[in-house]
Amino acid sequence: MDVALLGPAVSDQKEVTRILFEGFAPSTIEFFYLLGLSAIGIFCWGFYVQIRKYRRGASAGSWNELWSRARQMAQLVLSHRTIARRDRGAGIAHRFIFYGFLVLFIGTATITVEYDGTSRFFGYKFWYGDFYLWFSLAMDLAGLSLLSGMLYMMYRRKWMKLPKLDYKRVDRQPGDADYDRSFYRREDWAFLWTMIFIGVTGFVLEAVRLVWLGSDPHVWNYRWWSPVGALLAQVMASTGLSAEGAGLLRTNLWWFHGLLALTFISLIPFTKVKHIFTATGSLMFRDPLAAQRLPKVDLTGEKIGYNTITDFTWKHLLNLDACTKCGRCQEACPANAVGAPLSPRDVILSLREFANNALQSNALPDEVKLNVHGKGVGQVFMETLWSCRTCMACVEICPVAIEHVPIIVQLRRKLVEEGEMDPLLQKTLQTIHKTGNSFGESKRKRATWTKALDFPVKDARTDPVDLMWFVGDYASFDPRNQKVTQGFARLLHNTGIDFGILYEDEMNAGNDVRRVGEEGLYELLAENNIASLNKSTFKSIVTTDPHSFNTIKNEYPDFGGKYEIEHYTTVVKRLMDQGRIKLDHLLNYRVTYHDPCHLGRFNKGFDAPREILKTLGCELVEMARNRDNSFCCGAGGGRIWIPDPVGTEKPSQNRMREACAIEGLQVFVVACPKDLTMFEDALKTSGYEGKFVVRELIELIEEALTTVTEEEAVAV
Amino acid sequence: MKILVTVKQVAAVDDDFEIRTDGRDVDPDFLIHDLNEWDNFSLEEAMKIKEAAGGEVEVVVVSVGPESVDEELRKCLAKGADRAIRVWDDSVEGSDPIAIARIIAAVAKNEAPDMLFAGVQASDHSYAATGIATASFLGWPHAAVVSLLNYTPGSKMATLQRELEGGTYAEVELECPAVLTIQLGINVPRYASLRGIKQAAAKPIDVLTPSALGLAATDVGEAGSLSRVRRMYVPAKGQAELIEGTPAEQVARLVKIIQEFKGV
Repeated sequence: MDVALLGPAVSDQKEVTRILFEGFAPSTIEFFYLLGLSAIGIFCWGFYVQIRKYRRGASAGSWNELWSRARQMAQLVLSHRTIARRDRGAGIAHRFIFYGFLVLFIGTATITVEYDGTSRFFGYKFWYGDFYLWFSLAMDLAGLSLLSGMLYMMYRRKWMKLPKLDYKRVDRQPGDADYDRSFYRREDWAFLWTMIFIGVTGFVLEAVRLVWLGSDPHVWNYRWWSPVGALLAQVMASTGLSAEGAGLLRTNLWWFHGLLALTFISLIPFTKVKHIFTATGSLMFRDPLAAQRLPKVDLTGEKIGYNTITDFTWKHLLNLDACTKCGRCQEACPANAVGAPLSPRDVILSLREFANNALQSNALPDEVKLNVHGKGVGQVFMETLWSCRTCMACVEICPVAIEHVPIIVQLRRKLVEEGEMDPLLQKTLQTIHKTGNSFGESKRKRATWTKALDFPVKDARTDPVDLMWFVGDYASFDPRNQKVTQGFARLLHNTGIDFGILYEDEMNAGNDVRRVGEEGLYELLAENNIASLNKSTFKSIVTTDPHSFNTIKNEYPDFGGKYEIEHYTTVVKRLMDQGRIKLDHLLNYRVTYHDPCHLGRFNKGFDAPREILKTLGCELVEMARNRDNSFCCGAGGGRIWIPDPVGTEKPSQNRMREACAIEGLQVFVVACPKDLTMFEDALKTSGYEGKFVVRELIELIEEALTTVTEEEAVAV
Repeated sequence: MKILVTVKQVAAVDDDFEIRTDGRDVDPDFLIHDLNEWDNFSLEEAMKIKEAAGGEVEVVVVSVGPESVDEELRKCLAKGADRAIRVWDDSVEGSDPIAIARIIAAVAKNEAPDMLFAGVQASDHSYAATGIATASFLGWPHAAVVSLLNYTPGSKMATLQRELEGGTYAEVELECPAVLTIQLGINVPRYASLRGIKQAAAKPIDVLTPSALGLAATDVGEAGSLSRVRRMYVPAKGQAELIEGTPAEQVARLVKIIQEFKGV
């Protein structure tokens, strides 16, 4: 931009600036400084109280690699990548607010640096002339940016009626003390109006100053460098506002604006505004594998899991405060979608309220008052915790890296210790302890599925193999899944892969047992499997079960089991690329693909299955909720062992409804044994049977490999 | 105040199993062991009394069996039992419920509990005899198939409900100490987490021999038993055959089967 356009060029004209506290008596200025320092004092006290609150939590080892953490945090904050996901409007508006606020903060800080720093102590000034003019323009634009962002946020709250911005709780009844959470709504509006008032008074203040000092060419001639102020000044002047009137108005407005801003600063640590610090802090200490690799605990210790609020790590306490109530987790939650009494946000907010009540006072309350489990205000219900599928949808979408799933599992660990769980789940855990599998079958029946094959499957315990196949419970014992398992065995065999299995020495991998919260049983299973794997000779592991895949890949290393493991889709994709799998014919089906949580969201295995489908000649039509936003089948977190309430829609049925909206859909493709079980069942119970079929990807691959007559081909 | 709870490690068999070479039991290779289901309920009943009394009550579990039984005892300790006693040496092998009851009675005489709880029966051998036989050796009052219990530690009497045939119940008053055999469903047994079971390894399990309890060699094992298993077997199953083919073929096959049955 040409500087001359906005007024005469003014290099080094010291008069072109804004005189701070112009026309104020020294005592008034001193009074203002007193107020300012008090505001900062209150801010610091609040800041200290928050830090003290976090320090009352347990330790968490997150202080490593601080520099790279800080860099990643800065990238996320500056790019707003996480805030813009699945809500573009909010992302854009928050960028306007964030950058507006940032520029205004830097601007105000710059003035302070000159006035109370370089100028006061060294007599050095720089806030004049060209710099001052560009500065004014930047501040005006920043103010506009802030205001427009705020106005959009008001529009969202008032007119868009977003369900996720309704803070009413799904785990409480109308009439319960903490049901409607209207105080959050009031806080939202108070914040929005405060920012609007600060912004608007800032602009008006700019305008009245221009009218007041209109006779000074160093002010008036450069007025368009603050365009909003100049425009308002023009309007004011045209309504006949005199310089004296403007001067009087300016003094009053100055105090209003100043006091509002100071009040705002002092209240930051006590209100939602603190998310400036807590959210960045939470992002700073973000664990990219938070839900994939649950926290290991000392089983010999006195306690396990989260019972009291002081059992929480300081990082999880910080997480609670980082929540900005944006509701993305609630929107993504499969339990919430089918009306279960769980909203990940409500869990976080309940615990936050609990922490604020219990940990912000000078002295800690009694141990018994710190118990977060129960039906009281701020406590979390056991029904809520057991509704969770640990599908990670909440953790994955959270813009500020809150670890809902690890927190829920920690809370469940306590419930499991107390036996507070569904009797059927209790039975299943005992069964797994007794037999090593969730089907209650004897160990020696684990490899029964191999008997139907016309070739022997190598015993990897005695013969070295290239590829160790960890089969998993559902693929081993469930009769429907055994067909798929046999199909994969034939595929490996026919491709000439040297593979083997652990036979009866394989146990349930423990992924879901761990997510239930039965850490002791998990360790037993993991240690047994690791011992069996270590006794065998192999190069890498493959599994068709995403649950086993996740825990072996991400969690076994914590127990000394470090292996190279792939999901079968990756292996098959590679074999296809190498030309080792030759198709007999293309399938030409119209299909949709369901991302298993543990393969997709947990481990980013989105592409291999899709590319295989493409190679098979299938036309893939995506459901609205796909890839990272895939909708859990409802089986995760041990929920496959807990019956769903009768009369309500199950997550799997909800998913069938979504798939059925795809015109001409022929096959609903899955790549997970539990998915096959869940969705074949849901297809029947949701009344869509006959419209399309549910198939494991392996079945489609096998079909494309087999020469068939034409009638057989159409009769899917 | 003390409650003695008798527990048993029971065996379940695989779908395909073999009989031991001597033909008197299942080959142990095909057995999966677990705590007898009824014992979960009797332990829970004892734990409820202990917790209601606020810690004045000691719950002691006792079992007769080899070292593998410790696993079940640790489950009981994990659920809150204070200590465990296991009685075993080779002479106990081959004991029937009467011999077992004699051992438990000897333990009870040492421990002098205020109450003795047993399960109604064990899920593997289903004698439903050990509890009552123990009462007989001790000369204590007893009640079988208890489905509800009202008992305050230290009181002389207990009121309870017994489950009878045909959906009827009997309300019984009984003088303590007494032996009760506890029925399924009397309460909701708690869960013993694996962590709890591991930590229970620190709690004591006293291993005693029959002789240490003052029992003679003739009191235990086959010598001390009133019965012995002669043979264990799987009864031959009835067979069905689906006859296929044309009506003429079906008739021909049917005639052949009838002739085979008649022994023609």
